[in-house]
Amino acid sequence: MSFTYALDHLEPNRAHIVRLSGRLDSTTSLAFEKSLLELLANTGARLLLDLTQLDYISSAGLRVVLVAAKRSKQAQGHLVLFGLQPMVREVFEISGFLKILRTTSSLEQALATLDQA
Amino acid sequence: MGCALILKNKKLLLDVCLPSRIEAITELSLKVQEALSSRPDLAFSANLCLDELITNTINYGLKGDTDRFIRVRLSISDNWLEIIIKDDAPAFDPFCDAPAPDLDAELEDRPIGGLGVHLVKTMMDDVRAYFDGSGNLIALLKAVNDPAPAP
Repeated sequence: MSFTYALDHLEPNRAHIVRLSGRLDSTTSLAFEKSLLELLANTGARLLLDLTQLDYISSAGLRVVLVAAKRSKQAQGHLVLFGLQPMVREVFEISGFLKILRTTSSLEQALATLDQA
Repeated sequence: MGCALILKNKKLLLDVCLPSRIEAITELSLKVQEALSSRPDLAFSANLCLDELITNTINYGLKGDTDRFIRVRLSISDNWLEIIIKDDAPAFDPFCDAPAPDLDAELEDRPIGGLGVHLVKTMMDDVRAYFDGSGNLIALLKAVNDPAPAP
């Protein structure tokens, strides 16, 4: 599979984590957007996106992240991304997304960010 | 860019004809990764640009026609990575028509879309496209510090 994701729940931290893996591009992003927005609607107040295993993202993938971030904010939820690989981080930076999204290196930092929100 | 751009010791790394299907872009990305195995950062940049531009070509230039072919050539010289994309679509310039995204807008105000061409223009050092009579030719150049060793 070119792209997979898994959902985790951190009970003590009252946070859900979506762990992405592989390539988020135009072939994989449509289905993931649908799933992610459903997740947000059902569980979404405190959501982390684990990007440590995400090897590649295109503008189609960025679109999904942006839609999710907007939806989260509209619902007064919190969304934090962590573990961006260097080239993925560069794409976020070029797109101006580092200014409008919360990103951290580690899970611990992401949880701390959620708690400060 | 200087006046006379000269590619020295140019080596062809990849020369493929892709069917005009979005799925073919993923297959291409594996070939690009193999061709640039010693420079995964360059492979990422090349793949992202190919992804964005070929998707545009398929959806807009070829209007979703899946029976066509797009030629991709990847070469490296002493100082440059060169990517050539050639289609047989009617004339369109991906670099002229796209408005630049507002990178300073707040989250709520960022429109969904418009990033693909911006990514290409930023990740490559030179981009140009022209209709050569039979189709659109897109040429991308990226400066490289040390070229990949010959395959």
